[in-house]
Amino acid sequence: MVDQIANWEAQIRKGWLEVAILATLWRGRLYGLEIIRELETSSDLVVAEGTIYPVLARLRNDGLVEAEWVEGGSGHPRRYYKLTSSGRKRTLILAKHSNVFLGKMTALIKPLLAEEK
Amino acid sequence: MISPIDSALQERIDAYLKRLRRALGELPPEEISEIVREIHSHIVERVESTDPLNDAALTHILGALGNPEDIGSLYQSRAMVARARASTSPLLILVTTIRWAGMSLAGLVTCLFGLIGYVLGIGFLVSPILKMLNPERVGLWVGPHYWDLSLGALSAAEQGRAHAQEVLGWWLIPFGLSAGPLILVVTTLLLRWALRFAFPRTAVRQNASDGSSQ
Repeated sequence: MVDQIANWEAQIRKGWLEVAILATLWRGRLYGLEIIRELETSSDLVVAEGTIYPVLARLRNDGLVEAEWVEGGSGHPRRYYKLTSSGRKRTLILAKHSNVFLGKMTALIKPLLAEEK
Repeated sequence: MISPIDSALQERIDAYLKRLRRALGELPPEEISEIVREIHSHIVERVESTDPLNDAALTHILGALGNPEDIGSLYQSRAMVARARASTSPLLILVTTIRWAGMSLAGLVTCLFGLIGYVLGIGFLVSPILKMLNPERVGLWVGPHYWDLSLGALSAAEQGRAHAQEVLGWWLIPFGLSAGPLILVVTTLLLRWALRFAFPRTAVRQNASDGSSQ
């Protein structure tokens, strides 16, 4: 049972990770670790930190984000990501769909949770 | 590389990156370099913000990053799909679809469809050879209650019992030679279309926007 729930959670996280990464980039460019920190404070989507980099690579290949190496103040380079114009459009659409979906799910499970109390 | 850190810890970082590089084996060398560089940058960043940095702390940093083989596999899957989307190689497309089958039900269904298509196509393609080797028993057999394209053969007993009749004769050879490749091509195109549909690409901008200030 515990394994099944863990597996379900892993699938949910996987599904939401792409939207969450795009959402973190909405306000401006970030490098990988900043995206992870942002996700850690606002969600618990990141399990293994290394998994966000292949997602970023896919988003870049899809033309939704663009990447740039920048020499960091601490002496080592960082790869910054920012949304492209099509990335901003896609993020907004996904955010709207997510909002509707989450609203419906919340309404669906609310009575159940209230009953349990 | 990282200058102020203990050489034993540096060796562990290098070993991790070496495993990652190995796990990325099939990707283009320049892409591998970029990925390793980025993961290295991530580790350096974590290392610099960790005090004290010791063996346990580094274990935690690398553990949080994840297994290099798992990271490599995620990149490989993406790259394989990208290659298959643009490819006409039945082998690459089929292998990618098999990989997709392990990820979702849609992938599994598509994979089964593909396997049936390829088996059928190869069967038709081989049937002319079998016909020439065993003309009496290989063919499109029609019985009173069934149609059966017997690509292997109907046994003499089966032929007698079902009063089966072969209807294509030597026409099986041109029929097999044209239907076989056609089925293979159509299956390949349909699988590729399914991959493109399942893994859409809004724009092809591979590496175009990835400027380096190094």
